[in-house]
Amino acid sequence: MAVRRIDVRERVMARNDELAAGVRRRVDAAGVAALNLVSSPGAGKTTLLERTLDDRGATLRMAIVTGDVQTANDADRLAAHTDQLVQAVVTNGGCHLDALQVTNAIEAISLDALDLLILENVGNLVCPAAWDLGERFRVTLCSVTEGEDKPLKYPKAFAQADLVLLTKIDLLPHLRLNLGALEANVRAVNPHAKILRVSAESGEGMDAWYGYLDRAVRGARGATAVLGGSR
Amino acid sequence: MHELSLAMEVCRVLEGQLSITQQTQLVTVSLEVGTDATVEIANLQFCLDALLSQPPFRGATVRLTPVAGEDLRVAYLELDDERTAPVGAGGGEYGGPTD
Repeated sequence: MAVRRIDVRERVMARNDELAAGVRRRVDAAGVAALNLVSSPGAGKTTLLERTLDDRGATLRMAIVTGDVQTANDADRLAAHTDQLVQAVVTNGGCHLDALQVTNAIEAISLDALDLLILENVGNLVCPAAWDLGERFRVTLCSVTEGEDKPLKYPKAFAQADLVLLTKIDLLPHLRLNLGALEANVRAVNPHAKILRVSAESGEGMDAWYGYLDRAVRGARGATAVLGGSR
Repeated sequence: MHELSLAMEVCRVLEGQLSITQQTQLVTVSLEVGTDATVEIANLQFCLDALLSQPPFRGATVRLTPVAGEDLRVAYLELDDERTAPVGAGGGEYGGPTD
């Protein structure tokens, strides 16, 4: 047997990262702020976006790409709150969106007519963290019902975040949660992320979220990002 | 959980290499797995064993080596020039990470 060895040294994620860079070039060229929303299932991504569309849909031009393992339920819910495009990506078992899916999804979107592109990733605090989608800002949601220790259990999802949204804070009176400890755990894995407390149900904290979106849009339109997007 | 996606990406890399080396039989695939790559090594091994049991990779074995860092990388391949790849080689079925 004449076995020979060839060195390859190729990163397995290289192709995804090339596609993500292509997405980033396209949204940057169009002056669009692209956000990737990551969380566990049920943390409130879709409810947050429903309220955001209701409150700011008249002034912010938003397109949304939803990712789910099965069903277009989230896209259907969001489409009821906007006349703009909501693209559903059904991953058929896939536990995350990837840059190829986003590349294909934005083919149907007129980026020049947008302010914001929001990628609502598959609910999962592990796998989406490994896949660059071409976003400029990564937003990790953690609902207060999930407990204080999720940032420590799933550090990469929090370590990569530009913004951490602590959601469902209207439920705090019913929970034995130490909100300060939760925020300290976010800080332990990511000292630089901005942290906001929000409730899409009561509206508390939503103005700060909208302020973040407004600054992201201004940053995308300007020569330099004003929020320190890490990608 | 996403190890099958990663395994399919590995196969895409291998297909590219085998298209260069024509019908040569792949014997060994060596990968470096970053300790911060969010990869469960046993799970990735399972997925790769399953995928590499199919043409054009049939018979190839997998070596996974933990290394420092965040990258998952195909380090090197071992090829047997005296054996040819099975009929049906050419693949093309690993076009995207669909998990």
